Amino acid sequence: MSLILDIAGLRVSLRRGGHLVRDVSLQVATGQVHGLVGESGAGKTMIAKAVLGILPDAVRVSTGSIGFKGTDLLSLSPRRFRALLGREIAMIPQDPLTGLNPSRRIVAQMTDTLRHHLGQSRGEARGNALRLLQEVQIRDPEKVLDRYPHELSGGMRQRVLIAMAFATEPSLIIADEPTTALDVTVQKQILRLIRQMQERHGTAVLFVTHDLGVVAKICHQVTVLHTGQVVEQGSIDHVMSNAAAPFTRALMAATPRYDQPADALHPVPEAVHQTLRDAARTFDGRNP
Amino acid sequence: MTGPLLQVRDLTLSLPDRSRAPLFGRPPLVDIVNGISLDLAVGQSLGIVGESGSGKTSLGRCLVRLYPPTSGTIRFGGTDITDASEAVMRPIRKDLQMIFQDPQSSLNPRRTVGQIVAQPVLALSVETDRRAALKRADAALDRAGLGHAFAARYPHELSGGQRQRVGIARAIATEPRLIVADEIVSGLDVSTQAQILALLNDLKQDMGLSLIFISHDLSVVRVLADQVMVMLGGRVVEEGAASAVFDHPRHAYTRELIDAVPLPVIDPEWLNAEQAGGGTKMAEIKGQTVLVTGTSRGIGKVFVDQLLAAGAAKVYAATRSGGGSHADNRVVPVKLDITSATDIAAAARDCADVTVLVNNAGINHNSKLLATDQAGAAAAEMETNYLGTLNMCRAFAPVITDNGGGAIVNMASILARVNLPLMGSLCASKAAVYSMTQGIRAELASQGVAVFAVLPGAVDTDMTKDFPPPKAAPADIVAEVLAGMQAGEADIYPGDMAKGVSGGLAADRPGVIAEMAGYV
Repeated sequence: MSLILDIAGLRVSLRRGGHLVRDVSLQVATGQVHGLVGESGAGKTMIAKAVLGILPDAVRVSTGSIGFKGTDLLSLSPRRFRALLGREIAMIPQDPLTGLNPSRRIVAQMTDTLRHHLGQSRGEARGNALRLLQEVQIRDPEKVLDRYPHELSGGMRQRVLIAMAFATEPSLIIADEPTTALDVTVQKQILRLIRQMQERHGTAVLFVTHDLGVVAKICHQVTVLHTGQVVEQGSIDHVMSNAAAPFTRALMAATPRYDQPADALHPVPEAVHQTLRDAARTFDGRNP
Repeated sequence: MTGPLLQVRDLTLSLPDRSRAPLFGRPPLVDIVNGISLDLAVGQSLGIVGESGSGKTSLGRCLVRLYPPTSGTIRFGGTDITDASEAVMRPIRKDLQMIFQDPQSSLNPRRTVGQIVAQPVLALSVETDRRAALKRADAALDRAGLGHAFAARYPHELSGGQRQRVGIARAIATEPRLIVADEIVSGLDVSTQAQILALLNDLKQDMGLSLIFISHDLSVVRVLADQVMVMLGGRVVEEGAASAVFDHPRHAYTRELIDAVPLPVIDPEWLNAEQAGGGTKMAEIKGQTVLVTGTSRGIGKVFVDQLLAAGAAKVYAATRSGGGSHADNRVVPVKLDITSATDIAAAARDCADVTVLVNNAGINHNSKLLATDQAGAAAAEMETNYLGTLNMCRAFAPVITDNGGGAIVNMASILARVNLPLMGSLCASKAAVYSMTQGIRAELASQGVAVFAVLPGAVDTDMTKDFPPPKAAPADIVAEVLAGMQAGEADIYPGDMAKGVSGGLAADRPGVIAEMAGYV
């Protein structure tokens, strides 16, 4: 198992001062799914955006490195970085509708990537697009190729995006809450599909989610974030059964479960949040 | 007041389906909510769960009369509010509040939080004085855990969880008796969600509030609901006490929903495990090519019409004579006598695109088993009802499998489970059909073909005109069969009589047999 993604001491800061990600380190190896868990504002999406080089203008990486197969992505020229994106690093977005261009047929959007990154001819690319749709088990793949995004269901659109993400055989896929917009039964199918594809292609996946249930089912490794800090990191077995951090344990107790009656639910105590906010403040005091 | 706070009977909401609108004229109506009945007692909470498109949000909006129902009745606190005018509704609205899904879009951005919460208090004349209304708003904000200091703020200054608390404060400010809450925690973080759920639980207990809680999230519903209703396609597929439904779901669809929820527990089998439910899968009607036997009259004829209405792509309407025509060009008449091997082989060849087979054809000689003058009846009934249905299954199972899977529906009868001596010979043949259907279901389980046994009670057709017990209309029977198929019920018991007898057999088998014997 070789290391694909090696984030070390990553600090993401607002240009006007203050930090959003506070010295986060994490590694993802070939064939592994690494879950990045936290609530809104915890910094999980910022980390994903830093890897993809799409941080908003007001925000920058101030220290740290993002190693990708031995190269620090932050040291690459914009041109070399662009050549890597889409080909070696792909992404599955949260909202399948905004991830697709509404005015172009599926076939055009799928063959773009293949033609641009792999230099395939139009016919070759169409053949490969069809094969990919078959691989993600879309019914009537021939017909789907000629459809527009709005003509497909949410689950089908997400399947198309998964096919597109795997099209160039990337080493790393960033999945940003890929199932939050879906019904539970569809969510299960999509999770299964991502797992199957990822195992078959040996792809490393950084899986961003707020749902501990989803993490338990699909991730090998987990990093739990709060206020941009790592509060817990380790194998899924460790985090689910022996979580050490009070926040991880509180989050578990605050997650409703259909198999447990109402009185088993305990909101996260305010003190747990406050301790972590204080730690963030101390960090900022030391690192202005 | 005695009786339930909210009583709903056969509530239906039909809206125009603009996707199927003709060039001129009105678009056809589609049932969004279909025949829902419920009772909600004071202080009780009902969770309504379902996936997108199940009709749960539309049902919620009907209940607070934001949508006018097409038919059925809604009684609130003893008053029939089904068609109540706005003038009649106004005094009722302070008792019947709703909290909406998206706090961002349901709060007026140009009003302060205090004005927003005071608005229904004034509009519904709970208070006529502005100052008193604002005072009430402050109290409601305190109650909702936000604090009256927030009264001067504007919605955009608040977080999602705080905005949802404003929504709750606005709903409780008029001191209602029932709140309908629609997906109110779905956009929130787990820690905020847990706080909001705890708040609603407190309000429910302290104010004796009744609650209807609509959500796609089964785990969230479990926290708040005493009773649960599972919806699919505008209908209720399962209902009962929350603990019973979640711990022992009876319906295949409920089981599928529950199995799809990822619990924060490590389970390497979960991702690859197919749904539980004994191999019966859901069957969609839309876009299918269906062959129905025995369509010259009765249930078969109704099947054709309802399959078309449900969006079937093509319906082969089989009759013994092969005649008949239909206004809808999706209907193809087929000549098919299910006792003829030649006919069956020809049909399997000519109708090679079938994905759903409905074995409806059957005969009834109204014959007792020992009646000396009816020796041939038993043979004829077995030949058509049992062997005919079996041979159709044998011929079409490979066709359906080749077409990528589908469904087989065999019309048995509730009399397959208990013999009615008045027509003992028919019952025996239906018992054979029921047993055979179970066998075929097992044989086809891994091949993507859902196999359904239908066990109706007496149906009001020519064939049953001499049959004494109350009869159901063919249209109701067929509607329940199609709903059962789409919900993945393996054995479908359409009609009150079927459900009654089936329940009776479970509770008091000798009693049911004795009652049936009484009809001789």
